[in-house]
Amino acid sequence: MTDKKKLGRNQKDTEDDMINLVDNLNREDDLKYNRRAFLKTAVGTSVALSVATIPFTVRAMLGIAEEDHERVEIAKLADLPEGESVTFYYPTEKDPALLIHTVNGDLKAYNSACTHLMCPVFYEKTQDVLLCPCHAGYFDVNNGQPKAGPPQRELPLIEIEVDNGIVYAVGRQYRHG
Amino acid sequence: MGKKTCWSIIICTIIVNVVMLQWTVEAHYGREYGSILLFSGISIVSAFIALLTYLQWRKIEYKK
Ligand code: FES
Repeated sequence: MTDKKKLGRNQKDTEDDMINLVDNLNREDDLKYNRRAFLKTAVGTSVALSVATIPFTVRAMLGIAEEDHERVEIAKLADLPEGESVTFYYPTEKDPALLIHTVNGDLKAYNSACTHLMCPVFYEKTQDVLLCPCHAGYFDVNNGQPKAGPPQRELPLIEIEVDNGIVYAVGRQYRHG
Repeated sequence: MGKKTCWSIIICTIIVNVVMLQWTVEAHYGREYGSILLFSGISIVSAFIALLTYLQWRKIEYKK
């Protein structure tokens, strides 16, 4: 059939909507979005993902070099009755931490920035837990593990030493059992 | 090595790299420096495998 005999809407370059439905098939796109292009993108993705890990590696290498802690005095044991807690900073001025004398008489210390969104946690002595008021996050005071609420990671543990009635911070474990 | 194999290897490296990126970030949060190096290393090796596989695929695909 030649163009002349076709109805207007069936001719080439027609404006008719029902015919122009095929406009979504585009030859250029066919050349651009094909199997070969897909594989190339896949390889690119794989490489990009791996490159994304490199900044962490670099920071890790810098971090390993500076990994030693000093011994810092926190408080006198006599000033800290059972059920009380005191804030200190360890290992740097930017890391707030909490020394807790639990109602059971144990001494515990953790960095006090909540592992959810960094709000300060405090010791709630009536329930013997660490509580983050921001989104109601609860941590076990005995091991720093999250018990309830949004936090997923444990609070970093500060290793302490008691010497002559004075409590010292001597180290920090970021991940601990 | 056939083209199908190349495809599967490349898809596998993507999977491995997604997991490794996730683990690296987690290790970073936990300051486990050793694990960061390990995961990131695996990820880089896997990206290399992807590249080599791609070259191999290209050889077959564009031959003729
Ligand atoms: S910041 Fe602590 S629960 Fe959200």
